[in-house]
Amino acid sequence: SISAQNPDISGDRQSGQDVRTQNVMACQAVSNIVKTSLGPVGLDKMLVDDIGDVTITNDGATILRMLEVEHPAAKVLVELAELQDREVGDGTTSVVIVAAELLKRANDLVRNKIHPTSIISGYRLAMRESCKYIEEKLVTKVEKLGKVPLINCAKTSMSSKLISGDSDFFANLVVEAVLSVKMTNQRGEIKYPIKGINILKAHGQSARDSYLLNGYALNTGRAAQGMPLRVSPAKIACLDFNLQKTKMQLGVQVVVNDPRELEKIRQREADMTKERIEKLLKAGANVILTTKGIDDMALKYFVEAGAIAVRRVRKEDMRHVAKATGATLVTTFADMEGEETFDPAHLGSADEVVEERIADDDVILIKGTKTSSAVSLILRGANDYMLDEMERALHDALCIVKRTLESNTVVAGGGAVESALSVYLEHLATTLGSREQLAIAEFADALLIIPKVLAVNAAKDATELVAKLRAYHHTAQTKADKKHYSSMGLDLVNGTIRNNLEAGVIEPAMSKVKIIQFATEAAITILRIDDMIKLVKDESQGEE
Amino acid sequence: MHAPVLVLSDSLKRESGSKVHHGNIQASKAVADIIRTTLGPRSMLKMLLDAGGGIVVTNDGNAILRELDVAHPAAKSMIELSRTQDEEVGDGTTSVIVLAGEMLHVAEAFLEKNYHPTVICRAYIKALEDSIAVLDKIAMSIDINDRSQVLGLVKSCIGTKFTSQFGDLIADLAIDATTTVGVDLGQGLREVDIKKYIKVEKVPGGQFEDSEVLKGVMFNKDVVAPGKMKRKIVNPRIILLDCPLEYKKGENQTNAELVREEDWEVLLKLEEEYIENICVQILKFKPDLVITEKGLSDLACHYFSKAGVSAIRRLRKTDNNRIAKACGAVIVNRPDELQESDIGTGAGLFEVKKIGDDFFSFIVDCKEPKACTVLLRGPSKDFINEVERNLQDAMSVARNIIKNPKLVPGGGATELTVSATLKQKSATIEGIEKWPYEAAAIAFEAIPRTLAQNCGVNVIRTMTALQGKHANGENAWTGIDGNTGAIADMKESKIWDSYNVKAQTFKTAIEAACMLLRIDDIVSGIKKKQAPGSGPSKPTIETEGDADNEQILPD
Repeated sequence: SISAQNPDISGDRQSGQDVRTQNVMACQAVSNIVKTSLGPVGLDKMLVDDIGDVTITNDGATILRMLEVEHPAAKVLVELAELQDREVGDGTTSVVIVAAELLKRANDLVRNKIHPTSIISGYRLAMRESCKYIEEKLVTKVEKLGKVPLINCAKTSMSSKLISGDSDFFANLVVEAVLSVKMTNQRGEIKYPIKGINILKAHGQSARDSYLLNGYALNTGRAAQGMPLRVSPAKIACLDFNLQKTKMQLGVQVVVNDPRELEKIRQREADMTKERIEKLLKAGANVILTTKGIDDMALKYFVEAGAIAVRRVRKEDMRHVAKATGATLVTTFADMEGEETFDPAHLGSADEVVEERIADDDVILIKGTKTSSAVSLILRGANDYMLDEMERALHDALCIVKRTLESNTVVAGGGAVESALSVYLEHLATTLGSREQLAIAEFADALLIIPKVLAVNAAKDATELVAKLRAYHHTAQTKADKKHYSSMGLDLVNGTIRNNLEAGVIEPAMSKVKIIQFATEAAITILRIDDMIKLVKDESQGEE
Repeated sequence: MHAPVLVLSDSLKRESGSKVHHGNIQASKAVADIIRTTLGPRSMLKMLLDAGGGIVVTNDGNAILRELDVAHPAAKSMIELSRTQDEEVGDGTTSVIVLAGEMLHVAEAFLEKNYHPTVICRAYIKALEDSIAVLDKIAMSIDINDRSQVLGLVKSCIGTKFTSQFGDLIADLAIDATTTVGVDLGQGLREVDIKKYIKVEKVPGGQFEDSEVLKGVMFNKDVVAPGKMKRKIVNPRIILLDCPLEYKKGENQTNAELVREEDWEVLLKLEEEYIENICVQILKFKPDLVITEKGLSDLACHYFSKAGVSAIRRLRKTDNNRIAKACGAVIVNRPDELQESDIGTGAGLFEVKKIGDDFFSFIVDCKEPKACTVLLRGPSKDFINEVERNLQDAMSVARNIIKNPKLVPGGGATELTVSATLKQKSATIEGIEKWPYEAAAIAFEAIPRTLAQNCGVNVIRTMTALQGKHANGENAWTGIDGNTGAIADMKESKIWDSYNVKAQTFKTAIEAACMLLRIDDIVSGIKKKQAPGSGPSKPTIETEGDADNEQILPD
């Protein structure tokens, strides 16, 4: 008879409960790393790489990205944080914590001989119910979003970050920035492309001296000193090629018989660029931006024409400038007839282009752009590490404001939503007579991890606070006249319960929904694993 | 039961909790202790040996810290502060570190009492706001057109430096230089670009008193053909070029195949003609001086010397820009496009002088120079280097004054006033933030205390006396005279600081302290992630067979 042999696998294989427990432990470890950075009293992490470069951050996604997480299951969580960062932009820490907690509880259930698939379907059901409940009961429609709720959203997002002390100041800055890039696309949808907000960092001064600049800022100076500092109104040409002496792309050899020809070639090389520049200037361009270089020789023509030329503009910046000013990024002058022409229609326009000095750097500002407005946030701060962290915090806040504007609905923060859902789901679980009941009950408990961690980080009595919170939410859901209790959340500074909707601690509903959805999906993914095979690196192929 | 689950790679080192707080504070204090003795007029210099064996002798906080190679990440962050301060205002690099160190030091006591760091940070930020408000209140405006006032201020700012023993000279140089290059932007704004338009030339030898601000520029070059070209021209007509005055190959790879013997001559002749051509074009404008950034062939040199024109070659781009600013010329790239307006006529004198062993060209007596050179002389190189650092500080101070003509008392008086006001205010603060707020107020006293320490007086007695004077927020101008250690009125002793510098010091120090306090976890040893594709690079394939082929030259 054939003995029950393991198939020939060149690697380690683990299966069953072992693997599940290991995965859960790994996820738990990841969540423990970021746990202390949650909430308004969370702290920062300092990450040092082997060269000695330092990153100081509070952003969950950034922390996890910088750490070299090796365990495969833990990697899922890292990716989860990144997904949240991409989709929503904030809540990266929460999503990891919730996912890890869901997993931990699921593992306990499996140990009690409940099949993972039952748990999975229970979790799925709970997730759907919670999203529905948020959208039906918990959200507050903000029909006409004034500035106040937006500023509050931004403040909530920033409260855990380095700049929390100045959150009033920055929230205003952020909201103004987002509102000023508002645009309507062809389908009539209102969009807030936050990519149009350029964040420039210049160290010096203090965080409070950061400011919003109307206009797109390019972090380069003009190419020659002789150029004017200001051009108005500006006609902008965006080029994506060299304005240097013309040169064949490949190492082409030109062989001439008559030495006089040689001189002509030289002459032609210089003249070709000159002609191009003349075409540009003739079309009316007085600001020339190129991603490539400009020869010293070519600069003089611009100086004489009183135009600003900027070389080595970053391609990304260039695209934004082109979009904002209505210019077309020109890659070549060649037209269909084989001639070289420059169409004035390719020019973008702006009210003015000026060179200003910010800190120690020269910056080109493009103000009053034609098609869509662009703004730049100039951040100031004590040193580079601080600026980097400020940028991350502002990015989160910008995303949040954008989401709020797009979804128009907000929910109360500070653990209010999580507690409400927990109470609701627990009730729901008791109405179900199937195996899913247990899973849903655990899901309900797992959500409480957010208020718990918040309270623990603030060094408050978590058990007592959460119990109180749940009591409020229970009243809100059972007694019709106490509905407003559903926005009760934690006040972490004083360690009490308050109505967070009134206190201005709010978040866009979309962010909360996504956190629950993503966290559940990630937990399910890991839960489904019952076998892990680690392949040993094949030595024969490892060389390449 | 299970093997331990490894989530992070084992090369990572992770520290967290109170250990981190403690470590960060210790490291920051260590940095502050290094440069503590360089604060104030009785400061001492530090001698640093860099990796290359060179010596730096300085008491400039930034210059000292820049040379240090520290391992602790928090210490690194502190050093960055000094750099920020230097770039932003150019002065107060030592104070900022001392203050930040002290802020962290007082926070340590609270951390031991299990205060939450965010509470301390909030209190600090509040203290910062209030301290800036105090600064605004005691600041005094001055008239920047009154030279004696500006001079006094610059003098007192650099009074702590090594060169203060030479009296007003450095301050004079700094003010002259900055007023020369100051540009009025309109709307009462003035901009001074020190980096671009002021050049400091250090020439060892001579006496320190021989240093001067030139009304124009100088550079370390001689005319191309000494003896044949004039070395002194009054009211020169100057042409600036940034193209070579020699035969240059084109950008494309061109080969000439010569079949007949005569062609060879033609080719050579062409090259000569080319040079002759551009020389003629230049000479048409009757210049007295031709300066190019690139090369200048012997032939061109011959044409110029025959026409009695002096020429200088291989000048740096930045120098060329400064000459253009000083004499009003435009830098030209193609000689055939020269115009009369491109020629600089603003200079009064061109002269080549021999100083020591080197020849220096001077373009001076310019009518309206918008760029200038500061010529520093001194007995040794180290000496001049330190003088240059002092001068940079002094120029920054002068620039700050021109930009924001407000000043505050020096000698620790400002800090004492801020401290006293904050102490009073702390009584009105509710909640646990009161104590860190008060501690921040006390931390400001670190500056006058260090001053007192450095000038060797009885610290406790002096500080108590000063605190007493400031206690009710009066006597805002009473501080320590850093030379004698006596308590004096800063207004009478003329010890001032620029408002910008003080405000920046407070802001940078407190914000940085907050940032370091908020850290509760350090993970080190992270490998820098390699960009995809940048692994071991593929060996570049070089076949020897086509060595004849012209290589593609990078542009």
